[in-house]
Amino acid sequence: MSADAKAQEQPVKRVLQTVGFDARFPNQNQTKHCFQSYIDYHKCINAKGEDFAPCKQFSRAYKSLCPNDWISRFDEQREAGTFPASLEP
Amino acid sequence: MINFNNQIASQRGKFQAFPFHLVEQSPWPLATSFTLLTMALGAVAYFQGFPFGGELLLLGFVLTASVMILWFKDIVIERTYLGDHTSQVQSGISLGFILFVLSEVMAFLSVFWAFFHSSLAPTIEIGGTWPPVGIESVDAFAIPLLNTILLLSSGAFVTWGHHALIKGDRFGAIVGTFITIILALIFTGLQAFEYMEAPFSFADSVFGTVFYASTGLHGLHVIVGTIFLTVAFIRIVQYHYTDSHHAGFESAILYWHFVDVVWIFLYIFVYVWAS
Repeated sequence: MSADAKAQEQPVKRVLQTVGFDARFPNQNQTKHCFQSYIDYHKCINAKGEDFAPCKQFSRAYKSLCPNDWISRFDEQREAGTFPASLEP
Repeated sequence: MINFNNQIASQRGKFQAFPFHLVEQSPWPLATSFTLLTMALGAVAYFQGFPFGGELLLLGFVLTASVMILWFKDIVIERTYLGDHTSQVQSGISLGFILFVLSEVMAFLSVFWAFFHSSLAPTIEIGGTWPPVGIESVDAFAIPLLNTILLLSSGAFVTWGHHALIKGDRFGAIVGTFITIILALIFTGLQAFEYMEAPFSFADSVFGTVFYASTGLHGLHVIVGTIFLTVAFIRIVQYHYTDSHHAGFESAILYWHFVDVVWIFLYIFVYVWAS
């Protein structure tokens, strides 16, 4: 058995988890947690570039919390320049 | 004529065994309901963009104002020339007016509720901040501060007018009330100027909506209070009031102080705190 085949047989490890507790957003309503994480992610990649690994934490948070149609609306607003917050780092 | 009417009032107990005013048949209650219906339908037609909606609204407003003038004219005649307003009737009218002002307090409470609902926890759609992202609020320490001073001093002048009337000082009653009305008119003019110069409109987010809804409702009350005080002023000049019988003037004063207090809250929260 070759090394390649052995790697294929091993199951890929996937971690399924939602975002953890954040003391800034202690309420059941996590709308602002979603919004702030979206802002933080875009500030992060604007400062450090898309490949900067620590930014992933923010994108995991907002993708876990924000409904998909909110994310697409935020993206549209960002492109149109009407997103209601500064994304400058 | 005045002496003759005072005689009717003083002799009243000899031909009426009770102090109450039994009103006679009047067309104004029914007429008012029709004009109010016209105004409400006109408002709906106007807001929904129906043809001639605005004209119907204007017609309803003019008719309602006309019927109010005619109705109040009857009341003034009943009080001043027929002597129907005994002290019992006066206390009934005063209590009724206090309850009316209480209902106005509740109306303003609901507008303030809307304001605090929107501003204390601003939604993400407006950037989670108050004023919302991109909204430039008016400077609280410019014209609004001047308006606060104007309204507070108008409250002082109306007190002068009131106490002068009680003391039988005709000059003080006339001048005090007149200056109150002038200050009220300046306030309304400055608010109109502020509205024209404001960098945001009624349609600019919940901020614009709640700002113009609250200050606009207050502005309408200032206009009504000014008319109320003007009617009282004319009646002082016309010798309608005595030093102890001037419930209409006192109701106008109560209304004016109410409008004043609402402005203090508006100034503190909508102008100073929220900008």
